[in-house]
Amino acid sequence: MKFLLKQIQRHDAQLKALWQNGRRRAAQVLSAAERQTERWAHFPARVYFLAWAGGLFLLWLWDFFFLNAPERHLLEIAFVHSLLIAGLVVVLSFVWAWLTAYLIEFFSDRQKDVAAGLLHFALNLIRSLPQIVGVLLGYVWITYRIQTGHIRSGLGIMLWMSVFLSLFIFPEVVALLRERIAYFRQSDFFNAMRVSGISDARIINYDILWKNSRRHILNKMIAVFSSAIFLQCSVDFIVSVGLSTRVSAVNLPTTLGSLLANIDSKQDILAIGYSLTHPGYLPNLFFLHLQGISVALVIVFTLFSLYKITNALAERFRL
Amino acid sequence: MMRYRLDIRSAEHALVSIDDFHLAPQKITVLFGESGIGKTLISQAVFGLLDAHELEISINDQSYESYVRSQTVRRMQADGFFVFQEPSTHLNPLMTLDEQLNEGRLAKIGAQEEILQALWRQPFETHIRPLLKVYPKPFRPSGGEKQRILLAMAFKKWALPAKGKDRLFIFDEPTGSLDNYYRNIFLQELLKRYEQQPFTVLLITHDYSMISEFEQKHARFLPHIDFKELRRLDGAKTQLFDFKPGNYTDWLKRQRPIQSAAEASDTVPVLQVAPTFKIFGKTFYFSKHPKGNRAEPLLVHRQELVYLKAPSGMGKTTLAKILAGLQKPESVRFELSGLSFDETTEQKVWRKYVWGKKLAMVFQHADEALNLQANVRDVFKGLPGVNFKDAGELLQAIQEMFDQPLSPFFLNQKVAYLSGGQKQRLNLLRALLLHPDLIILDEPLNGLDFESIRKVLEIIRRKMAAGSGVLLISHNEEIFDRLVGRENWYYLRAEG
Repeated sequence: MKFLLKQIQRHDAQLKALWQNGRRRAAQVLSAAERQTERWAHFPARVYFLAWAGGLFLLWLWDFFFLNAPERHLLEIAFVHSLLIAGLVVVLSFVWAWLTAYLIEFFSDRQKDVAAGLLHFALNLIRSLPQIVGVLLGYVWITYRIQTGHIRSGLGIMLWMSVFLSLFIFPEVVALLRERIAYFRQSDFFNAMRVSGISDARIINYDILWKNSRRHILNKMIAVFSSAIFLQCSVDFIVSVGLSTRVSAVNLPTTLGSLLANIDSKQDILAIGYSLTHPGYLPNLFFLHLQGISVALVIVFTLFSLYKITNALAERFRL
Repeated sequence: MMRYRLDIRSAEHALVSIDDFHLAPQKITVLFGESGIGKTLISQAVFGLLDAHELEISINDQSYESYVRSQTVRRMQADGFFVFQEPSTHLNPLMTLDEQLNEGRLAKIGAQEEILQALWRQPFETHIRPLLKVYPKPFRPSGGEKQRILLAMAFKKWALPAKGKDRLFIFDEPTGSLDNYYRNIFLQELLKRYEQQPFTVLLITHDYSMISEFEQKHARFLPHIDFKELRRLDGAKTQLFDFKPGNYTDWLKRQRPIQSAAEASDTVPVLQVAPTFKIFGKTFYFSKHPKGNRAEPLLVHRQELVYLKAPSGMGKTTLAKILAGLQKPESVRFELSGLSFDETTEQKVWRKYVWGKKLAMVFQHADEALNLQANVRDVFKGLPGVNFKDAGELLQAIQEMFDQPLSPFFLNQKVAYLSGGQKQRLNLLRALLLHPDLIILDEPLNGLDFESIRKVLEIIRRKMAAGSGVLLISHNEEIFDRLVGRENWYYLRAEG
């Protein structure tokens, strides 16, 4: 009986130890998970980025199974082209903007009023033109050069498309850079560095723009990227719909905008309206009208995700 | 003995870690240490004022939440008081000063008028009562007035009956915005109360001249005062050391005016400012006598240290900025190393001939004068005529300013993560590495501990020996009155 009691007590102690160990381990796992969740919650831009990438991947997977191969291939090409153009726009916008902002500061500092005035005039001239009109004018030039045989390769066309898009977007970036410079000009650190004989070029380019404005610039880059996609889609759509019968989607590289303007895509989009009045038709949207709906979804979902990412970054870095 | 083992970290890095922070009960602990080393953080942690959600804090190996909830801390907060370094952060802008002086239990104390009058030394009705109706704003009342209101709150709290046996009163830089006259009044009032009923006091300060005040006027309290210094050991690790007041006072006694190698009368001044200048509609003039009305030109020769004195807010820094070409006055005339300047001179002249070549300036607040996002190496890049062969040479130059040996990793540290004292040393070194004719030093000893003060003064001496003239602006009169010959003191005054 005693032996039995001892055995029970021992088992009881073992069970208690196991239970306590288990609780401790569970608490550790839970707190690690909590920390990880907190870390993610602390940086929601990452979550939105992953949601964007994940959403696009799911869409691609759906299309892989339910969209025919030639149309899917077209969609993939349009997506890559649009992303490539938007990426180029980001790079070019920043090159123009950085140069312009620095030159304005340089001329203003040295009281070269004519040169600074000319730069301001050029900037205002670009700003006065609605972006979409400006880019359309650029496309006119591109189509002319395509017709005359000066631009032949698809990559060349995309580069020129990026040049014109960036030309009408970069003034926004100039405004940001100049705002940052103006802010730091009032600070003691700008004056303290100048009095130490450090050149304005170094202070503006390295200390202000590189060291103190990277987060702002990154956020602006994402905004420029989404602006570029939006403008590009709008203009490509307009061009493809009917500005020209001779130069159209046939000559320009396929992009999300031009694919959306495609007759099949338009029918797919119209089907959404049809399914609103005939709900029984709704399931067909996911199998029979995938091209147009996928393109529209990629555009809208990308713009929405980028908007959320920039907002989250602005909040996270208190921009 | 109240002993604390503390570890405070932010999400990104360790802020401060100390194994033994101790306060002797019913004694006055005067705590020195360079700015940003963690004195405020430690004292706020001890008093239970930090936000446990924003920081990871461990105190005496227990979580901060349980420490703050403990009976000891609750009693400490109920019986004691914490005077914040920056009075604006302590005062509520939506309540008048009078309402704040009578908030909660403070309303039970009727001796408010006497306390305020003692701190102001001015008639209550005419000078203090109108002030009490004011809502605190950034620039009104003045920093000194706000600070005295906080001190009055602390003294009112002291007058309340305590629940526990011992009470802790923490004064974090309580005299930062006060001149020596009001600082001495505060010390007198504090000691008067301490004499009536001893209590535990933690007095955080950078003002080493307080030691002289204690020794000269309150010597009988010295056995009740512990002088301590917080020093950085490695990274965020700090340690509390005893500070021998004699180290400071003996050193001070040994100081003699820095003599110029050249006879001032034989040489052409490196800086000559006309006796008057005008800015913000006011005319200012220089005088060599504290109460003199005769305007005299301000002269600085090579190898000479000239001390410009004026009450806080008079315009000393503004004058420095005018001389450096950073601010336009309504009228001014001066010569700097053979170049003539006036209010019409364009800034490009300074850029081309003066900045970094003929003139260098150390700004008052290192936090604002350095690019906080840059690393230590970047601070010294682009300085004219300053070329280091390699990182080792730069490290050696920086090392001269620091007590502890620096590792090469120090060069890659972000300036924002350095302590206030470390930043101030970089701020000074950036100007002192140059070879200008004139160096303007605006509060060069701000935020430095005693060892660093000695090092900085030595480097300034060497710089002068190398041929630079120095124009000095500082509130640290006890030290500079000894280092600068009386013939080189100038008083800045405003007309009218």
